[in-house]
Formats: sequence, structure tokens, C-alpha cells
Amino acid sequence: MLEWILFAVCALLLFAAMVSFTGAVIGAIRFGFVMNSMHAAGIGDTFGILCLVLCLILSIGPGLNMMKLLVILVFLWFNSPVSTHFLIQVEYFTNKELYRFSDRIAGSKTNETASGEEK
Amino acid sequence: MSVSQAYHILFTAGLVWFAILIAVMLIKAIIGPGVTDRILAINMIGTMVICCILILSVLLDENYLTDVALIYAMISYIAVLILATVYIPANPKRKRFGEDVKREVEEGRRYVKEQRAEIRRKMEEEGFKGSTPIDMDGKEL
Amino acid sequence: MKERFLKWFYGESDPMEHILDCAEVPDESREEWKYEEHEIEREISRRVHTQSVIRAERRGFYAFYLIIAVISCLMLIGVLLFTVSQLPRYGVENPRAKEVVERYVEKGLEETGAVNIVSGMILDYRAFDTLGESHVLFTALLCVMILLRLDEKNKRTRYENYYTVLADPYYDISTDPIMRIAATITLPSIFLFGIYILLNGQISPGGGFSGGAVMGAALIIYAAAFGFTVTDRVFTYRMSRCITFLSLAFYSFAKGYVFFTGANGIPNGVPKGTPGAIFSGGLILPLDIAVGMVVACTMFGFYSLFRRGSIGGE
Repeated sequence: MLEWILFAVCALLLFAAMVSFTGAVIGAIRFGFVMNSMHAAGIGDTFGILCLVLCLILSIGPGLNMMKLLVILVFLWFNSPVSTHFLIQVEYFTNKELYRFSDRIAGSKTNETASGEEK
Repeated sequence: MSVSQAYHILFTAGLVWFAILIAVMLIKAIIGPGVTDRILAINMIGTMVICCILILSVLLDENYLTDVALIYAMISYIAVLILATVYIPANPKRKRFGEDVKREVEEGRRYVKEQRAEIRRKMEEEGFKGSTPIDMDGKEL
Repeated sequence: MKERFLKWFYGESDPMEHILDCAEVPDESREEWKYEEHEIEREISRRVHTQSVIRAERRGFYAFYLIIAVISCLMLIGVLLFTVSQLPRYGVENPRAKEVVERYVEKGLEETGAVNIVSGMILDYRAFDTLGESHVLFTALLCVMILLRLDEKNKRTRYENYYTVLADPYYDISTDPIMRIAATITLPSIFLFGIYILLNGQISPGGGFSGGAVMGAALIIYAAAFGFTVTDRVFTYRMSRCITFLSLAFYSFAKGYVFFTGANGIPNGVPKGTPGAIFSGGLILPLDIAVGMVVACTMFGFYSLFRRGSIGGE
């Protein structure tokens, strides 16, 4: 009976990981600006991989492989924010139309100068 | 049915769903207008491939696939970094320079200007005619 | 289409053109016309470039070199084709289909001493092929160096690009504190992981090539995070040259000795060890280390050459 409870918990965690990755992918596609889709992609990188690794640890049991899975988790958690940091810098330095919709941002007065510079 | 069969079905369903997500991200990588969309799509594809490999390592009961997943994580991390070093300085409207760099840049420019003035004088003698193809040694074909 | 191809072939089209919205490069495929004002500058640049690349007084040597290169390539092609024609044909009677595979699978463990049969195959049964692959990597590094190296001839004309792209701290990620902290914490683990993969070639999947690639990746992250001035203190041109040459020479001599004794029926004195331990498999571990060193130096050499035109900063 214990095995089936473990299986149920594993299934729940895997389902949660699937949901979060689906949300990340849909967010990466649907948003118009890259900066927003990077924010959505972060969900998959943090919550999705956590649920997945927990599910696998529960189904494997203690041992060397559990430590390896934890190492992968820590490595991904550490390095995906650094990648996002540099991706946003790439976007800031190469995109000419970054301020195209800045007149819809509340309280922004720099619309004319920004678009005047870009043109 | 036994527990191991149930695990088998569960992990296989997870793998299929991940494959669908990877295909959708690939479409985004093709469409996405701009450089950053594509790098982001490749990064996400890498993360999802890592998840696929981890599920496979549990499904097939092989230990070394976790090493493969770790290598994949490293390679995708370093790919984004190096692409960033290529794209960040390529901004055509750079306006900030260091003071000690300006001096060396001007010295290089002076040397280049002298060379070009000399060649311009030579072309003036020819009368600015051209489009005769030139060999690698500078002779005309 | 042909114009676009010629533009790309002669290096006049800009790959960043559509991304950065620069002006299109004008084409020069017209005859019987005079240079206009905006085209004079382009013609001057082209002549500067051709003068700085080739000197006119070495034409004799280049003709001789071309002829000898073509003759030696044709001879090599002839020898290889003749050898291939002597091999047994495809089909079920081919020993490759049955006997060779069975021999490798059944007797692989006791003849090579390695639990990982793939490593045993590429570094024991077919070690000559792996030697050729390592030489290919070395040759690739040489070719990239020939094409991309910044030496005295073209340093002056590429001065502007060289200094403005690399020396501006606002646009360089090696001055970013986030990058430095991330590299300080994760790089030792990555390097150790590469060494672990290298040493485990005969037990689990891994070996020389993948371990060397991971070590090269760690060196690349180091150079990108801390800048080239710090990396040049450790990884100079001389060190890269010595490492690649010594690794390939060691590989050649060790395998030459084994081939010589094997062909003459003398037992070679290389111990096989117990399968499953680190020091097993005879010569597989030292050869793995040699191959891994070559791959790591090649990876870092490619990055350094593409980034700034020289390996050791000379």
C-alpha cells in the first residue's frame, strides 16, 4: 500500500512539473516583448525542474544517483539567472524598438525623445 | 497491474508531453522576430532536453545519463554567455569610450589615413577608372 | 541569386545586416565606368587589403607549393582508393557483419581489460583511427590560426576594430560582478567534473573527447568571466604548443610500440589490471589523458582566435 501512495505523490509532482513547463512555453510564445517572455521562462527553470527532480528522487530512493540529481538541480538554479541577466543585456543593446510602446507606460514622459533618437 | 508498470506508463507520458513542448519551442525559434527570441528558445529547449534525459535515466535504470544531463546544462549555459559576448558590443550607436583607448585608436587611424591617401593619389593618376579585376598579387588579370 | 552568392563569397556581405539595419553594401559588378565618390573609399580599402596579404616577390614559391600540394593530394587519394578496393565487399559474407562484432563483444573484456567496450574499441583495437582524429583536431587549430591570426601585417589595419571592440568596459561582460561571482563558485566544480569524465573512460561512458570538451568549456568560461589579461598569465602560446605536441608524440610512440610488439608476436609489457578499477585497461587511461589535453587546448584555442586573433596574447 505504501508503494501506491509513493506513486500517487510522484504522479502529482510530475503533473505539477508538466503544468509549469507548459505555462513557461505558452508564456514564451504569447508575449509580444522578449523581456516578458523571459519572465515566464523562469517559471520552468525554477519550479518545474524542482518538481521533476523531487519526483525522480522519490522513485529512485537514497544513493549516489540521488546526490547527482541534487547536483544538477543546484547547478541549474545557480546558472539560469546568470543566463537571463545576459540575455536581457543583449535585448537592451540590440533592439531598436524597445521604447515603441512607452507612451502606454504610466507616468512616462520620455516618449518623444526616445523615439526621436531611435529614428 | 504492478507498480513498476504504472511508473513506466507515467514516465512515458511525461516524455511524450516534453517532446511536444520541445517541438513548439522549435517553431518559436524559427518564427521569433529578433535575436533574443531565438537564443531564449534554444535555452528553453536545452532545459527541457535535460528533463527528458533525467526521466530516461530513471526509466532505463542507467546511472551515467545523469552525467550526460549535467554536461548538457553546462554547454547550454556557456552557449548563452558566449553569444552574449558576441552580440552586446555589436551596438552601432556606441558612445562611450575610455580615455586611454582613444589615443591608440587615433594613432591607428592616422596610419590608415596615410596609406589610403597614397593609394588615392595613385588612383588619381589612373583617372579613377576601374573595375579591372585584380589578382591576389595586385596585378591586373 | 548569383549576385548574392558572389557577395557572400568575396566577403562583402554583412551577416548582421538585417539585424542592425545597416546600409546595404553596393556591388561592384559593372564594367567601363569611373569610380564615384562613395566608391573610391571602398576601392582603396580593397587595395590595402590585397597589398597587405600577399607580396609579389613570392610568386615563384607559391606556384611550386601549389603543384607539390596537388600532386601529394592526388597520390594520397590514389593510395586510399586502391586500399579500399582491396577490402571485402558488402554483404552477409563480409566478416564485419558477424565475426568482428562477435569477437569484440565476447572477447573485448578479457583482451582489453576495459568494462566499457566502446572505449576499448576506440583506444585499443582501433587506436590508429583515434590517433588520426587527434591529428585532425590539431590541423584544424593550425588552419584557423593561419586564417585568423593578428600579426604585424594586418594589426595596423585592424587596430580600430581590435581596440574598440575589446577594450570598452561598458560592453564587456568580463567586468560584470555577477559573472565573476558565478564563475568563482561554479568553475572549480566544472573543471573537476571534466577530469572525472576523463579518468572514467574505461568504466563508464566518457573518455578523452567528452572530458576534454568539458575542460575546454571551463577554460572558455574563465576567459570570458575574468578577461584575457588574467588568462594569458597561465595559458600562453608556448604552453598550448607544448601540450598538444607532447600529447600527440606520447600517443604515437606508445601505440607504435604496441603495434610493433603485436605484429611480431611478442607480448607487450602493459598490465591489464582488474576490470572495474581506475587503473585498468592497459594503455587506455594514459591515451585518454593525451586525447583530452589535445581537445581542451583546441577548444580554448578556437575561442581565443575567434575572439581576438591570437592564442597567447602575443
